[in-house]
Amino acid sequence: MNLVAFAVLSGQEWSALRLSFQVALCAAMAGLPLAVVIGYLLARNPLPGKWLVEALVNLPLVLPPVVTGYLLLVLFSPRGPIGSVLQGLFGLKVVFHWTGAALAAMVVSFPLMVRAIRIAFQAVDPGLEMAARSLGAGPVTAFFTITLPLARRGLVAGWLLAFARSLGEFGATIMVAGNIEGQTQTIPLAIFTLSSRPGGIEQSWRLVALSLVLACGALAISELMERRSARRESA
Amino acid sequence: MSLLSFRCRHRYAGGFRLDAAFKLNHTVTSLFGPSGGGKTTVLRVVAGLLPPEEGVVQLGQRTLVDTTRRVFLAPEKRHVGVVFQNLRLFPHLSVEGNLRYGARFGRGGKREVRFERVVEVLEIGGLLKRHPKSLSGGERQRVALGRALLSDPELLLMDEPLAALDEALKARILAYLERVIQEWNIPTVFVTHSQAEVRRLADWVIVMENGRVVSSGTPEEGLSRPEPLGWKNSMGPVNLLRVEYVAFHQNHVHGRVGDQMFYIPAESPPKGSPLLVAFQPADVALARADVQGLSVRNHIRGHVCQVVPVGQAVFVAIDIGQIFWAEVTQEAAAELEIRPGSEVTCLLKAYKLRLVS
Repeated sequence: MNLVAFAVLSGQEWSALRLSFQVALCAAMAGLPLAVVIGYLLARNPLPGKWLVEALVNLPLVLPPVVTGYLLLVLFSPRGPIGSVLQGLFGLKVVFHWTGAALAAMVVSFPLMVRAIRIAFQAVDPGLEMAARSLGAGPVTAFFTITLPLARRGLVAGWLLAFARSLGEFGATIMVAGNIEGQTQTIPLAIFTLSSRPGGIEQSWRLVALSLVLACGALAISELMERRSARRESA
Repeated sequence: MSLLSFRCRHRYAGGFRLDAAFKLNHTVTSLFGPSGGGKTTVLRVVAGLLPPEEGVVQLGQRTLVDTTRRVFLAPEKRHVGVVFQNLRLFPHLSVEGNLRYGARFGRGGKREVRFERVVEVLEIGGLLKRHPKSLSGGERQRVALGRALLSDPELLLMDEPLAALDEALKARILAYLERVIQEWNIPTVFVTHSQAEVRRLADWVIVMENGRVVSSGTPEEGLSRPEPLGWKNSMGPVNLLRVEYVAFHQNHVHGRVGDQMFYIPAESPPKGSPLLVAFQPADVALARADVQGLSVRNHIRGHVCQVVPVGQAVFVAIDIGQIFWAEVTQEAAAELEIRPGSEVTCLLKAYKLRLVS
């Protein structure tokens, strides 16, 4: 009886779980194209401003997430330089909205994704791309048919890493999206809220266990995919 | 208008300088010379993989590179197929996927290079479902060649196509290359440091050393230098003579070089003329005067134009209108007093001669 009650999630917990998935999926999806472009440029081209791009991408890795969140809040608030444009053009409001949580998660997880993807691109022989081009493929076609498929493992690994990191995003999220139950309260925020109430430590147990399961799941999937593609290639 | 005209200067950061110019009009040209001579650099410029500092490259009517007009055509627009030294097969695609990749950008050139025919000529039908990783060196070589052919190139470049193979495999791949040349007649430039390959495949040779063209001509002319390049680390020359077809008679082809007759074993009358006859320098015996009463069928008179000692052996270049090489021992060369200008009779057993193509 106790066990069953333990396993059943409350409404608040359900919405936190659903929101976390929604936010993490969107963050990882939205970050992917840009991460591929930047990862590729950093892996290949001796860009003049390479160090600057690298520094900007890696900044959220070393910055306190609260500071990242603060900066995003300033930029994306309805009066901020980007927020006012979004609001004016698309009527889009990011701050204190789940999209704000997704934005925060994307920015914070972005360096992890870029790093994994960049390493994957560096492992692909640029000579293969030139071979494709000598056969008549344009640079874009060569990229999509040769380089990208060969780097797919790194892409998947980077995506999963960013997804897992997004599930756990806290500091930047609470700054940009707030902590509104049912709207922006993801699992970490819910745990934080519950734990700060009297007797909340016990109540947080289920969400903590859920976080562990999700994190382990993401790692397991990433491992599995890597093994499978390794087996296929050596066959 | 020549097929390919090339004139380029380029300096690498390491200090190596390329300063070469040549024009080509032949089906199979060899870029020959020692390693580091600039052969691969020439290939890279022609293929569009290296923009030179200065120069003009033209393929037929088209300008591939012209630094004065800031033209540097992208590799995919050049219609130049490349067989890379390390082959560069796509590891995520099957053999068939690799071959089809070559064909998918359908250039619709003049030649019809059909997938089925390429597979047949290169005998790679059994490999189609396999992945490059699981192929042997020779199989990979054929797949890379097939892939380049299927892109229907106007010019085919090969960078040391045989360097990575052992001797037995080399002979087999050479036979495939000859078939390909015969079947599609695609103008080909191949880089090599092996005289044997030059003599067997090329009808024109450009000899490069230290970034410069040091000589060019037919293989006989191009390789006839006082100090043949790459001599000591190659298998030595393989003789290849152009013979004019005269008649077919009792399992033998009768062919002529100048006014001298050659008897070459053959199962059936040859298809085309001129014929190419290959033989090893070691299979040539030399005599100062003609010798009667021998079983040897081919007695060819010529004069010595060059003598090159290599280790224990002496290579003797003999001019009979074309040049070929004989390999004799140092003692024999001394005894016969062979020196440039001497008249000799070359004895060639018919069964040592081989018709090529």
